[in-house]
Amino acid sequence: MTCEEFQMADLDGGLSAEEGPLQQAARQHLLECPHCAALHENWQVLRTDLHALGAATQEAEAASRVELRLRQEFRTKHKTLKRRRIALVAAWALAGAAVVVCAITWFNWRLQQGQMANLQQTRGVQSTLTAANSTGSLQHVNPAGPELGEALMASNDSGEFTLLPGTMPGSLDDSTVVHVQMQRGALGALGLTVNEEHAADWIQLDLLVGDDGQPQAVRLPASSN
Amino acid sequence: MKTGRQPGEMQTDSRERDDVLLRRSANGDEEAFTLLYRRHQGPIYRFALRMTGNTWAAEEIVQDVFMTLVREPKKYDAERGALGAFLYGVARNRIMKHQERLPREIPLLNPEDEGFAGYPQAVDSTTPAHWAELRERREHVRAAVLELPADFREAVALCLLEEMSYEEAAQSLQCPVGTIRSRLHRGRALLLAKLEMLRDTPKRAIGIR
Repeated sequence: MTCEEFQMADLDGGLSAEEGPLQQAARQHLLECPHCAALHENWQVLRTDLHALGAATQEAEAASRVELRLRQEFRTKHKTLKRRRIALVAAWALAGAAVVVCAITWFNWRLQQGQMANLQQTRGVQSTLTAANSTGSLQHVNPAGPELGEALMASNDSGEFTLLPGTMPGSLDDSTVVHVQMQRGALGALGLTVNEEHAADWIQLDLLVGDDGQPQAVRLPASSN
Repeated sequence: MKTGRQPGEMQTDSRERDDVLLRRSANGDEEAFTLLYRRHQGPIYRFALRMTGNTWAAEEIVQDVFMTLVREPKKYDAERGALGAFLYGVARNRIMKHQERLPREIPLLNPEDEGFAGYPQAVDSTTPAHWAELRERREHVRAAVLELPADFREAVALCLLEEMSYEEAAQSLQCPVGTIRSRLHRGRALLLAKLEMLRDTPKRAIGIR
């Protein structure tokens, strides 16, 4: 065994291990080499000292204040994280609510715009009607008005209105066109002459209804003639 | 069968794996973090103490190491090794930083009150003179260990003082077993040389060639 081999074996505690070929060789080397014998002796003393030193601190642990500080830091960190998460969720919720409000506002605005356009269109048509009245004829009336019972709103049909007996042309300014279905005989009640043979027929016609709810004029669509 | 929990008893199962505890800790479970701390602080503290020889520095290092777990738990990758080895790695970095700034620090305490000397010594039943001699010799050993280069000191601290096996030390320091053995061999030679000089009682031979 060389000195180097002996030193490695000695370091690993080879001499104190169970007897074997390595231990026998090491013991033989110890007897033959005074340098290694001295080293071994010193090492045993040092080993004892190191063991005592290790034993003195074997149970050493960090003071409890370290644990307290760390737990405090842990709490602070996770509280901050929690707050951040809550703030993030709140921010997203607010942003979502703002988007919904904007969408509803925009939808309402669009609806109002459409209604305004219809109103303006109605007023334009009524102006036309007024102009037509002043010349004594009713042409191309296309107003949008409120629903009246089961009556349907009049479509933009072509054709002329015939003033009912007793109606003044000037009182048609606020009239509304309604599309109704009725028996032909009912026209007699409006003061119109009716062919008795077809009095029971159902016909569709447009009525121009004044703001007092009374029919002012009537128009028979082409299909009902 | 699990019985009712006593006041102050940890909710966490003490056998729970480190990575599971760490995951829970990262999710804000303080008890998991506390268990993790209590499981690992002792070895890390002793390692730091034996490397620095200073209780205050060792406490600061332990705090820094576990602060890393609090602030950046994702730094630990379970696939790369045990949590203990990771903590030793962080501790080594902190110890190196501590050693770098050491010359700039002025000790406020008496060296006798610090480090190993700060811990209760084994009471010898023999004479006070013998006790004083033992104490002095231990102080010499302590000083010699602290004067070793960091690599050798790590090996000595883990294998000879903490009494870890070579394999455990290699795992903790993330190096091959052969490196540990070699560092230990050279560390021992340096220690023997230093102690011979300190004791001023030359033996028949000195361990360094």
